[in-house]
Amino acid sequence: MNRLDLLVAPWAARDPDRTAIEGTDETLTYEQLDQLANRFASALLASGILAGERVGIHMPRSGRSVAAMLGAMRAGAVYVPLDPSSPPARMSLIARDCALRHVVISPALFAGWRAAGVLEPVEHVFLSADSPPLDAPGSRIHPWAEIAAESPSPPAAPGSDPDALAYMLYTSGSTGVPKGVMLSHRNALSFVDWTADWVDLRSDDRVSSVAPFHFDLSIFDIWGSLSRGATVVVVDEAAVTSGRRMLDRIHSTGVTVSYCVPSALMLMLENGGLEERGAPSLREVLFAGEVFPMKHLRRTMAALPRARFYNLFGPTETNVCLAWALPGVPEADTSSIPIGLPSCGDVATVVDPGGRPVAEGEVGELLIEGPTVMLGYWDGGRRTPARHPYPTGDLVARRPDGAYLYHGRRDHLVKIHGFRVELGEVEAALNAHPGLREAIAFAVGQQLVAVTVPEDGSVSVLDVKRHCASRLPRYMVPGDVRLVRALPRTSSGKVDRVRTRAAYLDGDTQVLDPAHRAGN
Amino acid sequence: MITRVRTELREYIVATWLSGDPRGFADDTDLQQAGVLDSFSTMALIAHLEQAFQIELEPADVNAETFRSVETISQMIAGRMPRPKESR
Repeated sequence: MNRLDLLVAPWAARDPDRTAIEGTDETLTYEQLDQLANRFASALLASGILAGERVGIHMPRSGRSVAAMLGAMRAGAVYVPLDPSSPPARMSLIARDCALRHVVISPALFAGWRAAGVLEPVEHVFLSADSPPLDAPGSRIHPWAEIAAESPSPPAAPGSDPDALAYMLYTSGSTGVPKGVMLSHRNALSFVDWTADWVDLRSDDRVSSVAPFHFDLSIFDIWGSLSRGATVVVVDEAAVTSGRRMLDRIHSTGVTVSYCVPSALMLMLENGGLEERGAPSLREVLFAGEVFPMKHLRRTMAALPRARFYNLFGPTETNVCLAWALPGVPEADTSSIPIGLPSCGDVATVVDPGGRPVAEGEVGELLIEGPTVMLGYWDGGRRTPARHPYPTGDLVARRPDGAYLYHGRRDHLVKIHGFRVELGEVEAALNAHPGLREAIAFAVGQQLVAVTVPEDGSVSVLDVKRHCASRLPRYMVPGDVRLVRALPRTSSGKVDRVRTRAAYLDGDTQVLDPAHRAGN
Repeated sequence: MITRVRTELREYIVATWLSGDPRGFADDTDLQQAGVLDSFSTMALIAHLEQAFQIELEPADVNAETFRSVETISQMIAGRMPRPKESR
């Protein structure tokens, strides 16, 4: 299979009653998913969608949203998963950037679009569920009943080019304007096939869907599972904000494979009782997206002694390009684990700022070449092709065994009084403090700031500074250390650095609620 | 006199470099080992001391020994300040 839209039909023919997607309130078999995808494709074609046009998918994660993605591709279009938790203003930027004429949307989210006037480029609105009659000036509303009544037969002219654009993921650009990353069928399948083989994904597996669909981790959850005839188990948006409910869902559904950000696993550790309850069904645990603080990784692995753990690495622009299977629980004095060996057919090089390859052990920027590298950025339709090899902006060093170690983001390199400071190194020191749950560092003018979340009330600012001073050069000890109750997170569950810094600058104690108040 | 200097100095350091969190901070805390003072914060502290206590510090006053702790700084400052008239 060389296209995402071809993955489901063979399983639907072979084993129609096998469960494809287990949602919280609707379960679709492979046959039902296949047919619903064809209904969406027919509805889109009937409304005049053109080959290569974008279809916005804006709804909670569910079987219907996967069917809409499949249907969009089968109609020759490109699916654009939109973040259900993003404000309408951001949706408006994206809708205009990719000239969305067609959206598949839940009635509740559609109400938000209408209220905020996002509708401007949208001509056809396909509602993903029953709702009272709705109207919208300039747009044609297609009620759910109309889609459900479409013919389930496959569209007449399916696409065949594996290098065609399959989907776009909008990521936050450094300028604040979301950037559309263009990915082809081949990009996705190079990652999905390699990874599914690597973790030995089988048709009896039950794969959690924790990551939002606009986040690249979901590509494995959906297409990895559907390529192997496995079942996707949706852990809904409300459950992923609670460690206890997330673990409840894993227990009750018998999830065997889970791919998520370390923050999600840490939530189950801190608030879900993972250490007491375990998760006996979990066989493979994959994580990516951020550095897993070592002490939490060790606790998570100890709580799941039968599971294998994998660290995956790669920006949205390259899917996954490095991967590392952990040989066992890291020793107590381990400061970091590798981000991996080259994977998915990709080739890695490490270069200095002049573009020359660096020696083994030296830190430089990671460049990636291979089948997972995106087609390019959508860029308002200008379609800027990807640079080859693709410069990731990540600083790494290669070990003698070929594995790469992470040294932070190139743009996390700041200068404090002329000294080069890698914020990742400051954060690694902070995270090694036994009393801190998590921490991030950033520069404000010539001052280094650390915003940290203590485990309990016993940690003081002085403790944190003293700890840093014992591990870091003096110029890397944060001048201002804040102890707060929690760090803001992005919709994908990662620590939101931009919002943390903005809240610090604004003195916003709603976002950064002090864990200790002066004078207490 | 020295008590006032100590209190003032402690409050200034806690407010400026410890985000107002005085826990664990004592007059004999080693300011360099604790990561509170480096060369830049020491310069800022000197400027503050000169202004707050109306004194001028000589280069010889500024060294790792005198700037070790609140206690050592307070002693040095008390020695630089004009003696108050005997009040009783």
